Amino acid sequence: MRHLRAALARTAGFFSRDRGDDDLRDEMQAHLEMEIAENIRRGMPADAARRQALLAAGGLTQAVEAVRDQRGLPWLESVGADIRYALRALRHSPAFTAVVVGTLALGIGANTAIFSVVRGVLLKPLPHRDGDRLVYLRQSTDGPSGANVSFSVPEVREYRAGAPSFGGIAEYSPWFHTLHGDGEAVRIDVGLVTGNFFEVMGLSPVLGRLTRPSDDGTGVPPVMVLTYDFWLKRFGGDSGIVGRQLRLDGTSVTVIGVLQPAPFFPNRVDALLNMVVSPHHLSAQMVGARVHRMTEMVARLAPGATLEQARREVAAIHARMRQDHKDAYEPASNYRVAVIPFKDALGERARLTLLLLVAAAAFVMVISAANVTNLTLMRGIRREHELAIRAALGAGVRRLRRLLLVENLVLTVMGAGLGIIIAIEGVQLPTSLAARYSPRANEIRLDSVALAFTLALSVGIALLLSLVAPLPREGTLGSISAGVRRMTGGMRKQRLQRALVVAQVAVSVVLLAGAGLLTRTMMQLADVNTGLRTEEVLTIPVSLLDPTRVDPATDATNKELYDRMRREIRALPGVIEVGLGSTMPLMRTALAFDVKAEGTPLAVGEPIPHADLRTASPEYFRAAGIPLLKGREFSTTDRAGSGRVVIINRRFADKLFPNGEPLGKRVAFTGEILQFTPISSEWRTIVGVVGNTQDGGLDAEPRLVVFAPFAQEFAILGGLVIRADSDASALVAPATRIVRQIVPGVPIENVMTIAQIKDQSVSPRRLNAALVSSFGILAVVIAAVGIAGVLAFSVSARTNEIGIRMSLGADRGRVQRMILMEGGVLLAMGLALGIAGALLAARVIRGLLFGVAPHDPATFIGVAVMIGAIGMVACWIPALRAARIDPAIAMRA
Amino acid sequence: MPEKLDVKQGTLALMILKTLEGLGPLHGYGVARRIEETSKNRLTLNYGTLYPALLKLEQEGFIKAEWRQSENNRRAKYYALTASGRKQLERETREWYQTADLIAAFLAPRREAR
Repeated sequence: MRHLRAALARTAGFFSRDRGDDDLRDEMQAHLEMEIAENIRRGMPADAARRQALLAAGGLTQAVEAVRDQRGLPWLESVGADIRYALRALRHSPAFTAVVVGTLALGIGANTAIFSVVRGVLLKPLPHRDGDRLVYLRQSTDGPSGANVSFSVPEVREYRAGAPSFGGIAEYSPWFHTLHGDGEAVRIDVGLVTGNFFEVMGLSPVLGRLTRPSDDGTGVPPVMVLTYDFWLKRFGGDSGIVGRQLRLDGTSVTVIGVLQPAPFFPNRVDALLNMVVSPHHLSAQMVGARVHRMTEMVARLAPGATLEQARREVAAIHARMRQDHKDAYEPASNYRVAVIPFKDALGERARLTLLLLVAAAAFVMVISAANVTNLTLMRGIRREHELAIRAALGAGVRRLRRLLLVENLVLTVMGAGLGIIIAIEGVQLPTSLAARYSPRANEIRLDSVALAFTLALSVGIALLLSLVAPLPREGTLGSISAGVRRMTGGMRKQRLQRALVVAQVAVSVVLLAGAGLLTRTMMQLADVNTGLRTEEVLTIPVSLLDPTRVDPATDATNKELYDRMRREIRALPGVIEVGLGSTMPLMRTALAFDVKAEGTPLAVGEPIPHADLRTASPEYFRAAGIPLLKGREFSTTDRAGSGRVVIINRRFADKLFPNGEPLGKRVAFTGEILQFTPISSEWRTIVGVVGNTQDGGLDAEPRLVVFAPFAQEFAILGGLVIRADSDASALVAPATRIVRQIVPGVPIENVMTIAQIKDQSVSPRRLNAALVSSFGILAVVIAAVGIAGVLAFSVSARTNEIGIRMSLGADRGRVQRMILMEGGVLLAMGLALGIAGALLAARVIRGLLFGVAPHDPATFIGVAVMIGAIGMVACWIPALRAARIDPAIAMRA
Repeated sequence: MPEKLDVKQGTLALMILKTLEGLGPLHGYGVARRIEETSKNRLTLNYGTLYPALLKLEQEGFIKAEWRQSENNRRAKYYALTASGRKQLERETREWYQTADLIAAFLAPRREAR
């Protein structure tokens, strides 16, 4: 109570200071007069009485100060004074303020932006209830397309039965459908889920309900849960969506709810459905066959269970399965199962790239902090005189430190404010990069946590700056007179400044080398030979498959429709050739199977080769510009019912017929999985060999490919490959119009030219390279300012010395060389350190490089030359200034 | 000349309160004189010590101040004890005796042990 009262009184006093002061002076004046009168009454002469009274009073000004301290909030008051003082001091050195605030803003801005991206994508807790208890299970094999082979229903069943560490296992099978009605038909990605899926995942609906165990099995109505994003995008967030009937291919499905926003893995989905919508998923094949792997598993750890326990149990079950079902786990393929925290699985693709950006941003921060430190040091030395006077007037070291801290806080807060604006503008670029690697990119926010990070960063820098600044020792009166002339600040501080410059140069080299390697990677990728002869090709994937109507009659009708599209587009002006095929050139296909070749037995322990199956019409290769190396193309006589023929790619020929002639030999698809597909395991005769193409990414290894005639395979997938005589993109409108006329209601998406497909592979790298390059350039600019600043300071500090040297006979050239040498040594040290650091850093980012060695000499030489040149220019300016010093003036000063 | 002492932290407030209790409303000069006299001039109070202490007591609500005409027709600020000031004085007096006893008891045996 008493303290509260006193605090209130003091706060009031803080605001009514001036009135209180007058009152106090009157009171003390009265006191003094009474004392004088008393002294006189005791017989003192008037002046002695006065002197005696003043002596007893003991310093009126100090008394007023002491009462003031008691009256108001002295700490706050003097901080207020410090802030006012700091602002005034900074206004007096606008160049210093501008450079420091600008430098800090760049560093803080870059770090705030990258931090919010990293937090959104990697660090933030998952939106799932107890999301840190979720684990993702991944089965993988050696070889191409083995990174994630997913699980079969019998496998899931065994894990569910045998792993008590799992409180529940959610199954989800990625699938696709065409959604009709409400405007254009669209292809949507869906997940077919078990009834326990949402319970295990810990997700809630924002509208309606989610699927539950009673939605499992046959004989229940098909129901659909929309993901939040799809609900917004397709239905504009319509709150009356629950209960609506939507048509998915041939089936009518009821919307039962909308899911809260949540990331999906391994692929994004638009909606989640119960299994009944796909008869296949409930068929004996799916449920009973161990090799029919098309289910993803996410499990929730049981209360008390640890990740280690779960890993041990899964490993044991997996080992037992391999033992019990040898035919389902071919030894050479090296089947294995990993248990990964779900959050890590979501972030795994983004991690390396983001760590790279974090490192780059941190480097920029280091450089700008070093720069600001240097500038502050120099300013501190110039202010030594002022600080010495303050110290002599009674300011203690702590008081001076606080003054500096307040000043630095003012600087960093201004920098942070500007930095946040930069971050708000700049976060788009890393966000769009993250979106390519992570399903959580939409969780990126510049939120209070990011702002707290920024604040902590700027306070940290302010503290650092206040600690390195030189302060006069308490009670050193001597330095006042010396302070006027002492401008060099002693060797110790010079050494610190020089070390900082070396560090700046070194860090710039590392950043720029990284940027150079990534830029070269991007250029190398863009230069990769796709295997196609031309880029003026338009691709239009058109899927006519209705999963509910898989029969030969429908297939025949579909093929007629495809052929009509082909003929009509062929007739468009500007079209040279049109081909039909299952998969567009340069795109990856999911249709890949084990293959065997006649007369080429596998060596013991060699894994069975896996090849992509693509179909092609006779015109396909010419339309796509895929070169025929041997034999013939398909002809119209390769029809359904005629002898099965195939064309293989060069990689396939090299792999399966290393020393023989493939033409006329026979190959066949094999493996249990074929029984679930319309694909035949009959022998097929090789009639041609075509060149390799970069399917599924320019940095990908060419795959083994078997082309079958479009007419001889069931058209699971389909599309048109259109070769244009000049600009392929000009054909988009007329060609899609034709497709729409012939097959209205079929979604037409992903219409792309070959150049666009190629660019899809390059653009994430380009973004990456652009980001790191901009950080690199930022670093170099800041470092150049740093070198120039330190040298300029050194020159101005040594004006007197240089004057003496010149009057003793040193000519301008000599002075200039002296300063250049001084900078050159720092530059060389920085370069040497930086290149060593860059070699280490390049090893770390090896995984992001393509087509360049981590120690790529061209990049490193280029970076060294560039930084050397910029550094020398930065040294030249102060050197010129040094050479222009007039000895007569310099020595008089 | 008697040895001069610094006023111990916390004791000045007690002295001021006691002075005001004994003499009624009094100005700063009066308080200072009284304390100096009582201490037989072993204590001297300069303004920088006295006035912050008065202000602190006022902020805490133990004394209140008003401007008045002094006995020899001078305007002066008079301080008077408030009700809560009286209570505080009692409390502090009690505590002071307790502390003094404690310190005395604490110091005595130590001297013997030496």
